[in-house]
Amino acid sequence: MDKFFYLLTDGMKNLWRHKLTTFTAVFTLFLALFFVGLLATAGTNTHKILQYLRTKYKIEVFFKQDVSNDEAIGYIYRIKQIKGVRTATIIEKEDAIRIFKDQFGENIIDILGYNPLPVSAVVNINRTSRDRLSVEPIINEIKAINQVDEVRYQGSLINKIERTYTRIIDQFPFLAGIIIFFTVLVIYNTMKLSVYGRRELITSLQLIGATRTFVKMPFIFEGIFIGILSVSLVFPALIGSINGINYLLMNFTSWGIKLIFDPTVLIWLFVLVISITFVGSYRAVSNFLK
Amino acid sequence: MIEFQNVSYEHQKGNGVNNLCFKIDDGEFTFLIGPTGSGKTTLMRLVYFDIIPQTGSVIVNEYSSEKMSNRKIPKARQSIGMVFQDYKLLKDRNLFENTALPLHVLGFPVNEIPERVEETLELVGLDGKDKHFPHELSGGEQQRACLARAIIKEPDLLLADEPTGNLDPVASFELVRLLETIHETGTTVLMASHNYNLIKGRGHPILELKEGILRGN
Repeated sequence: MDKFFYLLTDGMKNLWRHKLTTFTAVFTLFLALFFVGLLATAGTNTHKILQYLRTKYKIEVFFKQDVSNDEAIGYIYRIKQIKGVRTATIIEKEDAIRIFKDQFGENIIDILGYNPLPVSAVVNINRTSRDRLSVEPIINEIKAINQVDEVRYQGSLINKIERTYTRIIDQFPFLAGIIIFFTVLVIYNTMKLSVYGRRELITSLQLIGATRTFVKMPFIFEGIFIGILSVSLVFPALIGSINGINYLLMNFTSWGIKLIFDPTVLIWLFVLVISITFVGSYRAVSNFLK
Repeated sequence: MIEFQNVSYEHQKGNGVNNLCFKIDDGEFTFLIGPTGSGKTTLMRLVYFDIIPQTGSVIVNEYSSEKMSNRKIPKARQSIGMVFQDYKLLKDRNLFENTALPLHVLGFPVNEIPERVEETLELVGLDGKDKHFPHELSGGEQQRACLARAIIKEPDLLLADEPTGNLDPVASFELVRLLETIHETGTTVLMASHNYNLIKGRGHPILELKEGILRGN
């Protein structure tokens, strides 16, 4: 037990004895983990950005000239029943005159002597789905209603946004895998350099009869302490950054997006760094002892 | 006890030792003398199993090079104290920590260590300097610190490879006297040196190496 506590405290003392190496390792790990944390947060919030963009999707339905406001309400009820439709709001003939006046500054009745504008409706689609949204089936169902004259929507824009979103979601695990791989590599090499910088210590320990375990343990403890130090810096940095981004989003944009920070990211980062620093320092000393 | 039986070892760049046969009994003080490159360090390395002979066998206490494995080497070294020309002190630890290190390796109870370190430092004349780091000590003091680290575990065998190589004549003489004092407690001592004037007339057996071959006993 005395030996274990000696090795544990020696690992801790090494952090102070080699301040520059410790600082370099902690800073490198901090940057790598901060980047992974941001990436994970971006991943969990991608659908929020998509939801915001989906609020901009607008389908305008124009009814035939002879459809009255009351008749239109019935058709709009049918539109609301279509799968994927969130809301459908009627724009009565009178509303259309007002909108025309707002846009063109003229009262159309004064010009033509009658109201040629049809009853219409603005249809919003369901935006919460995490799957790719296809508006064509909705458009086809709306068009199938006899009294619908014309349906206007931003087809190519919607397709482009949905396609891009699907592409990001599909490639996200691959991208995350590459980034985590390089993070592991950076952390592993940092541990390796830290061990290599103290090869004289290892030689001296071996000469006085230290076992392989005795030589390895302080390095492993030191590696884990470096991991704990860096991850404890990453936690407030990540939470602070996300709060800062949210502050900017809420106060300087009208997007209504608020990023959510998933606390399990912290657990994953902790597990990741402890595993890598343990394996990294263990392997680095083992390679040196060969 | 050290026994070499027809031991040969050749380094990749040449040099080494050739067909060495000798025995040093327990409690003996033996000098190993020879010019630079004669194979003294190779012989020392064979004793502490840093290298294994290509032919023949080395027996140190109960350990034989023929049955040596990586797992056994630390155990074999735990009963050997070593003093080097370049001291090999850990620069990032003070004298107390350097001296105490072998006791931690052996798993000594922590509460017994300070007293033992104090006694050993007193023996080598470094009492009161336990907080000093190696760079704060003179060459002679660093060598005595190295000696303290070697003897604190009360080894059966003490190896000193050119321990006076970096010391002035007075410090060299003092160190040899110190080794003799340790030898008087029953420790087997093997000291390598190329300085014949330092060891002559001391009444200890001398092994002479020349170009890897043992010349005299």
